[in-house]
Amino acid sequence: MNAETIVEKITSEIKDKIQETALTAPRRINVKVDREQLLAVLQYLKDQFGFTHLATISGVDLGEYFEVVYHMSNAIATVNVRILTPRSDPKIPSTCSVIPGAILYERELQDMFGLVVQNIPDPRPLLLADDWPAGEYPLRKDWHFNRPDEIIPGGK
Amino acid sequence: MEFKVALGPQHPALHEPISLRMTLDGEIIRDADLKLGYNHRGIEKLAESRTYIQNLYLTERICGICSHSHTTCFTQGVEKLMELVPAKRGLYIRTLVCELERVHSHLLWLGVAGQEAGFESFFMYTWRDREVVMDILDTISGNRVHYAMNTFGGVRRDIDELQKKKILDSLDLLKSRTEYYLHIGASEPTFVGRLSGVGMLSKESAIALCAVGPTLRASGVPMDVRKDDPYAVYDEIPFEVCTADSCDVLGRTVVRVKELLESYKIIEFLLKNLPAGPIKVKAPRKVKENEVFSRYEAPRGENVHYIKSNGSDKPERLKVRAPTLANYPATIAMLKNGFIADIPLIFAAIDPCICCAERLVQLDNPRSGESKVLTFSQLRQMANQRYKNVIFKKKESLWPF
Repeated sequence: MNAETIVEKITSEIKDKIQETALTAPRRINVKVDREQLLAVLQYLKDQFGFTHLATISGVDLGEYFEVVYHMSNAIATVNVRILTPRSDPKIPSTCSVIPGAILYERELQDMFGLVVQNIPDPRPLLLADDWPAGEYPLRKDWHFNRPDEIIPGGK
Repeated sequence: MEFKVALGPQHPALHEPISLRMTLDGEIIRDADLKLGYNHRGIEKLAESRTYIQNLYLTERICGICSHSHTTCFTQGVEKLMELVPAKRGLYIRTLVCELERVHSHLLWLGVAGQEAGFESFFMYTWRDREVVMDILDTISGNRVHYAMNTFGGVRRDIDELQKKKILDSLDLLKSRTEYYLHIGASEPTFVGRLSGVGMLSKESAIALCAVGPTLRASGVPMDVRKDDPYAVYDEIPFEVCTADSCDVLGRTVVRVKELLESYKIIEFLLKNLPAGPIKVKAPRKVKENEVFSRYEAPRGENVHYIKSNGSDKPERLKVRAPTLANYPATIAMLKNGFIADIPLIFAAIDPCICCAERLVQLDNPRSGESKVLTFSQLRQMANQRYKNVIFKKKESLWPF
């Protein structure tokens, strides 16, 4: 089996669940799905081709939408499964029921992009400081770091 | 009755600030929890406002030990975005530094593991030998830590015949020393007794929790990005993926020592087959809109960079996932049902002092949950009672009490 046969099988077997499939580079497959179908597609990839290793989950701020990319690997290829979620309703399903190792990446997405991961087993903040203000998500494009004015203690 | 013991974020033995909370039942760890973020520097956000060539030196500073890993992962991703074919000789030198970095990282880890196991001389030996590799890296790049070898299209420095000879001579020494370590790791009874059965991670949970690198390979999964998804010139190099089936700290030690021996073979192959020609090709400044997912086998495991470009000279998004983050869920699984005394070994680089962290004022019975508070005078009374009738002897002479 190689990446080409995986693409052929995906397009023929779960055509109704995916929006598009492409082989973008050697051993790299891009799959675009609806966020409602994400868990079913990941489960299918895991059971059918042994894509058990989730390398990471990348979030990208596209303005009106957030793009969330799940990088799944096996010994032959890497599948980048991507979903779009609108900025007004930034909900994504938790993949921990399919891949238990996804938990830290999903907590990171909640911290950095303010995405709401539904059914996440552990929703606590992961990376940001304890006194980080609510509603500020540093990796969104409209977030800018403003250095607070320097105050010299006892100065004039 | 449950105890909660905190370790970190600030601790003299911790190399980096990380907070670990453990729920104990007597001496056995029932649950562990991690809190990260004490060292979060916002590199991903910063990368969006820098040009590609500036980001090359930014990614170098993500890690001190794996500095070349991060730049190589970033460089080969950007080269794919630029549709650039790097110079062959440059790729060979890049791979050479990759393997030298793996050697120095694994020797460092071996020393730390030896120290945590109470085998101090092992620590001294491996760190002395590590200096040999550091010297080689110093001669090639001029630096011991941040080599700054990579550039888009190749590498920045060439190596000559004299350097080649020096590296090959040093390799013989390293090879014989590593064979000795393999002998110790497999047969020294105290070392084997301390490491075997500690930090068990079954094959199924290692796969489910997406562990990477030697941690995964020691659980019997032959996943190595150099074989599965060859980058640079790894598809031309003959080497083997080292695995172990013991699923414990001993297995992880053996995997790393075996990988050292494989790395020496790779370095020798690279030096003997080094092609002639230029070391780099000219790279464009701007990158057209695209995206790339770059994988790299760092000494600690799979390193991942996801780069999205937008047509300008700055990336739209750079996502970095270093191998240690991927291994945290597996580390929690390893700590569960282990002993407090095994934390330093499992966490390898962490040397906690649990007994100093909490003073005895309250005695809790872990089985029944009863507790009683003792005053200092009561404690002194108990101690006097205990030592009243004991005769202290040193060899044959009585101690002057």
